Amino acid sequence: MTSWSNTRRLWLYRIATLLTTAILAHFLTVWAVPRLIMQVLMKGPMAQQLNMHNQAAFPPPVNAQSRTVVMPSPDLLYSVCVFDLADGPVRVRAAPQLPGYWSIALYSANSDNFYVRNDKQAKGAPIDLWLVPANGAKGQMPIPEGAQVVVSPSGTGFLLMRVLASDYQADKAQLEAARRTLRCEPAKSN
Amino acid sequence: MTGHAPSRLRRILVGGASYLSALAIGIGSALWVLKKAAWLNPSVKVGAWSSNLQAGSVDADMYTRATVAVNAVLALGRSETMYFVATQDDAGRALRSQCNYRISGVPPKARWWSITAYADDMFLFDAPNGHYSLNGDIATFNSEGVFSFTTGPQEQSGSYWLPTPGKRGMLLTLRLYNPDPALQAAPQSLVPPKIQAVGDCV
Repeated sequence: MTSWSNTRRLWLYRIATLLTTAILAHFLTVWAVPRLIMQVLMKGPMAQQLNMHNQAAFPPPVNAQSRTVVMPSPDLLYSVCVFDLADGPVRVRAAPQLPGYWSIALYSANSDNFYVRNDKQAKGAPIDLWLVPANGAKGQMPIPEGAQVVVSPSGTGFLLMRVLASDYQADKAQLEAARRTLRCEPAKSN
Repeated sequence: MTGHAPSRLRRILVGGASYLSALAIGIGSALWVLKKAAWLNPSVKVGAWSSNLQAGSVDADMYTRATVAVNAVLALGRSETMYFVATQDDAGRALRSQCNYRISGVPPKARWWSITAYADDMFLFDAPNGHYSLNGDIATFNSEGVFSFTTGPQEQSGSYWLPTPGKRGMLLTLRLYNPDPALQAAPQSLVPPKIQAVGDCV
């Protein structure tokens, strides 16, 4: 009788631990997937190739060979930057003077879009962001007048600038000049 | 003594295999849900189009965040952009690249819109004519204000054509940039573009 109880208890224990393992693995995977994808974006081959750590990069228009980010929009011209606040704030500036849509979006390391500003909201004024970490290092440097302080939920993250390019070949000169006003660099005290 | 060793080894092997199976089931079920649940459990479905309204928002739950990361990483929130995805035609049949489709509708209420064809790996088709999408700037409209274009392996005469070479699954994505506030508040009020198969499809 005791032996049967022990055997049954052992099997119950085994089943419970296996179930717990499967459930934990499931939730851990769901939690980790967006973070891993962002890590690949920020540190993977594309990031290495574009050299976009705390500096803006300007990849060519997407086409069938663009296979870094799923579902890329062929009507948008993308500019990118990986911001890293480990050594202090990062300053983001842009002044694209374009008649069509553009936006600058910031994503945290877990893929959340925590900030976005488009051309209509900017109303023709340049973008000037002072990116600081959530633990608050913004007081260490004087913030330039007119700059907007943006608190990043994570120490690293991804900047994506979208510029509408319905006809890239026809508007290439104007579009390229506009997007190359993007600056993304460690903030300086001056 | 010699009889115990194989028994213990067997227990270790069976135990190890069981835990590995549990890990595989946990990870596999998560990946299956993330790949399949994104558009199978839409927040809103209009015609053949469905949309996850929490895409890109910071209050997205763990599953929404992960499904968006897998299927459309770096999406924007609803106030900036709305995404509608179609994986079936209006008759409920799965979209296939070897079939020809006519997509038609009235311009969605947004500052700017586009419809893009993607292969089932979520990347663009290798379109020899460079046409990957139709957008509001290049669309032409008939006398009733309706735009139309075709997708498929062959060009349909007189229509804007998005080539979809190969024999595989496909999907269409409708993007609305700066959608009207009324549409943001009631996404089900979208007048969905029609997706109709043209001719026979094998």
